[in-house]
Amino acid sequence: MNHHLHPKGSGHTSERGTIISYIIGFALSLILTFVTYYLVDKQSVSGQTLMVTILGFGVLQMLVQIFFFLHLGRGPKPLYNVVFFGATVGIIMVVVGGSIIIVNNLHYNSLAPDQVKKVVDDEAIYQINGHETGACHGQYANHHVSIKYGIITPLHTQAKKCDTLTFLNEDTVSREITFGTHPEHKAYAGDSYVPVRKGLSKTITLSEAGSFKFHDHQQAEVAGDFTVVP
Amino acid sequence: MVKEHVLSHKELHEEAADDRVMFGFWIYLMTDLLIFSVLFATYSVLHTRTLGGAPGSALFSRPLALTETLILLTSSFTCGIGMIMARQRKQAQTLVWFGLTFILGLAFLSLELREFSAFIHEGHTLQTNAFLSSFFVLVGTHGLHITSGLLWMGITLGYIVKRGLNAPLVRKLAMLSLFWHFLDIVWIFIFTIVYMGAYT
Repeated sequence: MNHHLHPKGSGHTSERGTIISYIIGFALSLILTFVTYYLVDKQSVSGQTLMVTILGFGVLQMLVQIFFFLHLGRGPKPLYNVVFFGATVGIIMVVVGGSIIIVNNLHYNSLAPDQVKKVVDDEAIYQINGHETGACHGQYANHHVSIKYGIITPLHTQAKKCDTLTFLNEDTVSREITFGTHPEHKAYAGDSYVPVRKGLSKTITLSEAGSFKFHDHQQAEVAGDFTVVP
Repeated sequence: MVKEHVLSHKELHEEAADDRVMFGFWIYLMTDLLIFSVLFATYSVLHTRTLGGAPGSALFSRPLALTETLILLTSSFTCGIGMIMARQRKQAQTLVWFGLTFILGLAFLSLELREFSAFIHEGHTLQTNAFLSSFFVLVGTHGLHITSGLLWMGITLGYIVKRGLNAPLVRKLAMLSLFWHFLDIVWIFIFTIVYMGAYT
């Protein structure tokens, strides 16, 4: 008789524990969400490192919720659910990871002509099978454009093809350099957006000759121009 | 004593039936997870293909994404508490906690729809570029799940009011809460990869 009554009894004693587990799970999830938000807001690390870090916190939060909200794998019941979940995660790894690797490779190895030019310029491939590609290589001059209090100095930059141009953002806001006139933008040498975070700089290679205007996408009056002679 | 014995025996049977139903529902959730994973793969591959248009960092509002995340996370929590109340057959408390979950879900959905309509109004539509196509399909699929979850919740709560909290309804709520927790877990990755990832 005791044996039959047991499931109900044990169910009741674990209820209080369940509420506490939900509160712990909720608190941990809140902390992990805010950590992710703070890391992205602060930008003390950026790029791939930041992406991998926040993805790690995402996975951690998933595990927290699976454990504290779904109670997966807890209790005396068989582990069918866990096994099925594990298999699904395995399939996801193959599908997502495989797709990213394959498609990126495919994209890199079969580019449209203008994108081939951009890759050739970006990676300074000046020769393919003995043919000149026209990409810049070797030593060239560097020009500086600084943005401080929303003022661009110098307003006009004169450069030779293959020189480099550095945007230095000395303001407390991030700038998004776009080319052409606002709001219709034109890409310069394959780049349509050059994000420059506060206090940092970004350098582009002037691989396209002509006269070009640039401005901050968020604040169109912050603008300047540059001329590239062949 | 005999009566109690029979009751608990019936309960054991119900518990076994519950386990079977829940496992079936778990299998559905895992296949649904595969749909989301394919959409995530698509987004990861296409999110840089903006065809000269604005990238995610120029479109997404971080505070809005955080607000949506906090609302959905809180709703996942209230849903869990509601489920504990349902298992103890506390009908009034169950209605209150699931009612809260419903309101939070509705708030989340309205924020998401406002974000979508703002994008479309500014000319950033499903057809603009590969990045936006994959964005709208991924986040929209999650939004559709939330919508169907809300419909399901509304109907179930209506039944509870009408018929009282009986065993089949508790089982329905258990599946619903599993579904709701699952949607919150999927959202963690939308928040991390789509909204926060745009700023890396």
